[in-house]
Amino acid sequence: MKFRKIFSVEFGYQVRSTSTWIYFFVLLCSAIFFTALVSPNDGVYSNAPYFIAGIIIFGGMIWLLIAAPLAGEAAARDVYSRMHPLIYTSPISKLDYLGGRFLAALLVNALLIFAAPLGVLISFHVLGINEAGLGPFRASAYLSVYFLVSLPNAFVATALQFSFSALTRNVATSYLIGLLLALFAHLVGMSLATLFGNWDFVRLLDPVGLAGLINTEFATWTPAEKNTRLITLEGMFLWNRILWPTVGVGALLLAYTRFNFAHTVTANWWSRLRKNHFEETVEVGDRPTNRMAITVPLVERTFQSSTALFQTWMIARASFQRIATHPAGLTLVGIVAIVSAVFGDRIISQFGIPLVPTTQQVLTYLATPVANLATPWVVVPLLIMYFAGELIWQEREAKSNDIADALPVGDWALFTGKYLGLALVVFAWMTLIMACGILMQLSVGYFTIDIDLYLITLFGLQLTEYLLFAVLAITVHAIANQKYIAHMLMVLIFIFLAFPAKFNVEHPMLIFGADPGWWNTEMTGFGRTLFPWLTVKLYWIAWALLLAVVARVLWARGREEDFSYRVRYAGKQFTPATIKVLIVAIVGMISLGSFIFYNTNVLNEYATSREIGERKALYEIRYGKYRNRLQPQLTGTRLNVELYPDQHRIEIRAAYTLVNVDSVAIDTVHLGSVSGNKPYEIIFSRAAACVVTDDELTHYIYRLLKPLLPGDSLTLNFVVHHQQRGFGHVTAMPLSSESSTYFTNYDLLPNIGYLWHREIRDPDSRKKYGLPARPAIASLYDKEARKRSASTDHNSFEAIIGTSPDQVAVAPGTLKRTWKENNRMYFHFKTDVPIRGEYAIVSGHYAMKESGWKDVAIRIYHHPQHEMNIDRMMGSVRASLEYYSEQFGPYPFGHITLVEHPGNDGGMHAEASMIDFGEQFTLITPDVSPNGFDLPYYIVAHEVAHQWFGSAQLTPANVEGAGVLIEGLAVYCGMQVLKAQYGDAHVQRYVDFVHTSYELPRVLATPSLLQANETFLYYRKGGLAMHALSQYIGTKNVNVALRTLLDKHKSKMLPLPTTLDLYHELKNQTPDSLHYLLQDLFEKNTYWQLKTQQLTAAQTNNEKWDVTLKIQARKVVTDSLGADHEVPMNDWLEVGIYEDGKGAHEPLYLQKHRIRSGEQVINLTVPRKPHHGGIDPRHLMIDLKTHDNMIESGEGGK
Amino acid sequence: MENHHVNLSIRNVSKRYANGVQALNDVSLTISNGMYGLLGPNGAGKSTLMRILATLQEPDKGSIRLGSIDVLNQKDEVRQTLGYLPQEFGVYPKAKAEDLLDYFAVLKGITNRAARKEVVESLLKQTNLWDKRRQKLGGFSGGMKQRFGVAVALLGNPKLMIVDEPTAGLDPAERVRFLNLLSELGENSVVLLSTHIVEDVSELCTRMAIINKGQILKEAEPLKAVKEMHGRIWRRVIDKSLLPAIEREHRIISTKLLGGRTVIHAYSEEHPGSGFELVEPDLEDVYFATMTGNVGNHKSEAAQ
Repeated sequence: MKFRKIFSVEFGYQVRSTSTWIYFFVLLCSAIFFTALVSPNDGVYSNAPYFIAGIIIFGGMIWLLIAAPLAGEAAARDVYSRMHPLIYTSPISKLDYLGGRFLAALLVNALLIFAAPLGVLISFHVLGINEAGLGPFRASAYLSVYFLVSLPNAFVATALQFSFSALTRNVATSYLIGLLLALFAHLVGMSLATLFGNWDFVRLLDPVGLAGLINTEFATWTPAEKNTRLITLEGMFLWNRILWPTVGVGALLLAYTRFNFAHTVTANWWSRLRKNHFEETVEVGDRPTNRMAITVPLVERTFQSSTALFQTWMIARASFQRIATHPAGLTLVGIVAIVSAVFGDRIISQFGIPLVPTTQQVLTYLATPVANLATPWVVVPLLIMYFAGELIWQEREAKSNDIADALPVGDWALFTGKYLGLALVVFAWMTLIMACGILMQLSVGYFTIDIDLYLITLFGLQLTEYLLFAVLAITVHAIANQKYIAHMLMVLIFIFLAFPAKFNVEHPMLIFGADPGWWNTEMTGFGRTLFPWLTVKLYWIAWALLLAVVARVLWARGREEDFSYRVRYAGKQFTPATIKVLIVAIVGMISLGSFIFYNTNVLNEYATSREIGERKALYEIRYGKYRNRLQPQLTGTRLNVELYPDQHRIEIRAAYTLVNVDSVAIDTVHLGSVSGNKPYEIIFSRAAACVVTDDELTHYIYRLLKPLLPGDSLTLNFVVHHQQRGFGHVTAMPLSSESSTYFTNYDLLPNIGYLWHREIRDPDSRKKYGLPARPAIASLYDKEARKRSASTDHNSFEAIIGTSPDQVAVAPGTLKRTWKENNRMYFHFKTDVPIRGEYAIVSGHYAMKESGWKDVAIRIYHHPQHEMNIDRMMGSVRASLEYYSEQFGPYPFGHITLVEHPGNDGGMHAEASMIDFGEQFTLITPDVSPNGFDLPYYIVAHEVAHQWFGSAQLTPANVEGAGVLIEGLAVYCGMQVLKAQYGDAHVQRYVDFVHTSYELPRVLATPSLLQANETFLYYRKGGLAMHALSQYIGTKNVNVALRTLLDKHKSKMLPLPTTLDLYHELKNQTPDSLHYLLQDLFEKNTYWQLKTQQLTAAQTNNEKWDVTLKIQARKVVTDSLGADHEVPMNDWLEVGIYEDGKGAHEPLYLQKHRIRSGEQVINLTVPRKPHHGGIDPRHLMIDLKTHDNMIESGEGGK
Repeated sequence: MENHHVNLSIRNVSKRYANGVQALNDVSLTISNGMYGLLGPNGAGKSTLMRILATLQEPDKGSIRLGSIDVLNQKDEVRQTLGYLPQEFGVYPKAKAEDLLDYFAVLKGITNRAARKEVVESLLKQTNLWDKRRQKLGGFSGGMKQRFGVAVALLGNPKLMIVDEPTAGLDPAERVRFLNLLSELGENSVVLLSTHIVEDVSELCTRMAIINKGQILKEAEPLKAVKEMHGRIWRRVIDKSLLPAIEREHRIISTKLLGGRTVIHAYSEEHPGSGFELVEPDLEDVYFATMTGNVGNHKSEAAQ
């Protein structure tokens, strides 16, 4: 049978091919490598099914990227090898030919992809990786992934690659399909998910499983589930498994119908995809030939350097044209650009609220590192990799290499011309990207377009990134001289570039094309980031030159393509020009390299993240024994701060007042600095001897010759210097720069005592660095821990800050005085009431808006251009002070200061009497329409609330649930101020936003709110729970509870407040009938599943409509293992009916009803025609699907 | 352009491929201006020698000089005087004939725009491609493609023209025109033509070499070589069944079918016997006599 023969010949050919085995070993090694490199979190077996699945899925992606030519070869090898006239004229059917070839490729791929599970198996059971943490062996863990993920993927990918290669008659198409499937498809899903807030898109659209399974599905599994659960065909994954194979079958059908055994005349791939294409008819008929001899005109030929330049340009132009006319050449980038422009307001946004699309904001989206996989612009490096191969192989694939190689064109011109051609394409892409950015701005009516910044960023910084990568791609192709081996090498290099830290490589001098980073903000411009950036980039450009020389001398010209031959004859290729370039490259590399090393490793300290972790661990190991050692308390801080912005220098003379507030004498003082900044000239006001000087960990222990008796105090004087010298391996936002200074005490100043927060909290890291296991945060029921707050300091703060004459300095406290001295400006701040131990000191070219509320001075310092929201912020501060002081008691300070700091940070941060915010905050466009959401107004109110809860007055014990007392309450308070200004509609928008954060894939088996341990619970669930409660028992009662809590715990006296105290006060204000709700919200991890199945309305008379609702209700409690337990419910839930076009706050009917578990019918009467309605319309309960709570009214009549 | 004569001198060139095939074995040739034919069967090493001369391959040993140029070490200089038409080549299917020829013209060093236009137009016209100049090369027939290759090779009036089996794809008229063109070119430059068609050489070449299995069997002037064979080629028409017996007795150099009968040519300095008649030798007889080892020998004569 012909089919069998075609199949077996193809299968045999592929199996005997070296490249197949190379793919196999690369896959096998990657699987082993990643199994050894990555390990699951604490409490999960090393060979937990989810982990095995993860590695196999990752292997699947690598397979897609490297082994793509296999299917393409099966489909298009005949055309490539010019065998097709023989094959196509054989008496075989299309089905036999395509079917045999396809199935052979599929079988080879199916076997090939088995390398991933095999690699994992070998890692655990032969090499003994992570042997200690192994759980029982389960074949199903490997097989389920192989059969549900790998094998279907092998089919889909092989089908698509094979079909399109067959149709385009080009092996390389297969590679392009592989790239797009591997990275682009899941990016489309991710983009849709982020744009529309629905993660089902990812689950549905990701063909590989990297985003659809690893980042979404597995992210919702509890450790127990990770240990036991297998991937099963259900939910969106089932649809995914239906969708993609259908696409694969579709592609095969397309290939079968459109493919024909014809000699190709046109090279137009599109015409082959269309059904009715006319083959270009060729006139072969020549005129009768005359016998006149040919005379070639004598023309002058020149071979000067100008000729070489012209030739280079011609090659570049031809290369550019080739890529530009390729179906994937400009279109993919163009599509991403257009889609980005259309969804610009959703992309440039924060919390779903659009930001002002300043050029700088848009550029943060457009300009990303080359190997950033989380941006759609990853398409650019992928295309560079693909087209580098196409260009290098252009002549040989067209079989015109003999003619081309014998032309009088220098090798440099060939290399440079092709590279320039690729560079021109990248240039064209950057133009598209810039157009995309401008469109993103124009489409929302923003016209302040900073063309200069676009040009510098896209055509200076970003283009350099891509061009360096292009050199690498071209060089790898030139050296490897095996197209698909080179592609495979590039994919492996790309994976390294994407995750260098996974390979424990962090220094930018070791990661090709890397740099220490740059930023651009409106307050600082590029700051001093461009110099380090340029230096490191020049270093890599020197490397690129070196690579270019290597590519040049190993360039395969003529028929001698053998690697050993090329190496042998490389010596001959060193022309004087080449040697000059080589010398420039080596000298540049060494000199720049030494200069960079001097900066990053000598002037600055270079520590890998592992070394930093080790140092943290060392701190705990060395000084953990002093954990509970009594220490004097910091009660007063006096600072003389001298800022020299133009020198990036900070000098601080500090005086700490330390008091023994305990009942025992204290004889040692511990002084330590988190930042590693060493204090000098340490002088105690009484005799003290330094017993431990640990500069490595900046921890110092002093013995007081005369112990500090209870109630006694002493003064500690010291000096702190800071000056940025050179640049580090990562350019962090500097503490001090020309345009601004911003630092907190933790950045420069030492603290007293052993610092708990220097310990490693994350259980996995503790294990990694050999520290004893302990919970990340102390238990709520740990009586000892409940005696400690996050900060014990109670600090009278005073600072005199000197800065350059054109700047304004800001610190906590009232501004007592400003003066000018020695051509410097001085500012004297002093707090009237002690603050906690965290504060910031700021200086910059600020504009200041001043106002007051009662006798509180309100000052907002901001960048002069960022004034859009300043009045709104001022209004919010005043409204907040008004509301909170009325509800919760007086504001403790005589002032409140808001200050902007440089950086792309959209949040605010509250310290006592001072709130700082990043630049992006000022760009949030508030929607003040009745149904809108004034986000900045809300955020300010939230931060002002911290002056009561968190930063200044209520200081919870540092145990589980502490964050609820800080953030949960601030969210609640912020919502009340928002409501007072804008009404319920704005609050509803915020509530709905909080609900969307439940849609992000997350583990639902969380602790209760009382024992909350993560920010999601603090902010989101805490906020929702407080809001729901206020809607059931009334805001007034909640406020009374909070005020009582504050009154009881305002002083820092023990016991410190916990969620139990909050719970107690709330319970006191809640009627017994609603205690169940309090339990569900705070004590248990309860989810409601509420759904309106039917809504019918019938008019009985002019002013009466009978409404019937059919409701489905269910309540489950999710335990810590992730199991759902249904609990019977008989809850009070709102039922609401609305007219057409009315929002949640304008009900026709809104009443609480008793709702029990299961299906039930509710009858009610409304005065006007209902349009929609349902259960829990305002989304008060924790319900993962709020969109089915309400439905539109159907025309039902009784 | 100066009209001084250049000599191509090939000295002791050997080339062995990685698979063990000895493609060239100590080949030495001296070629001066004019048409030089390299005649040999398929696989004789012609293309290898041509590619070495066209800078595309490296011999294992030996040296080659073109006038003052060291061909093996001064490739750039060689390429500047080289016209090369490979035996097999492809073109970019999407490119248009005129554009691609213009592109090659630049790569050949014709940087002046007007000059390029003139050359491109002239060459397209004379290779009979002018009407097809805006067509994509993907649609060209084999002959058209071959003519396009010729046009590329002729760009820039090369001093060394290497044409590898050029007439294979051409129709008879085109073949004649092409050969004429080459011979004209041969007035000022070295034209090396490899072929397995004896007529190509006999019609045009002033000198020739016969090559087989990597060795030069004979180097000669075609006319002189034919003359030397005078009185030594004998013809007999026989029945096919007699062939094995006659082959044992005589030095048969070729057999041909003619009207169902077999015509044999034998080499002999004396009358080989009854049935044989003396014929006027032609170059084909020289070729076959050489291939069968009856005339010429390896190095001694070739190096003269």
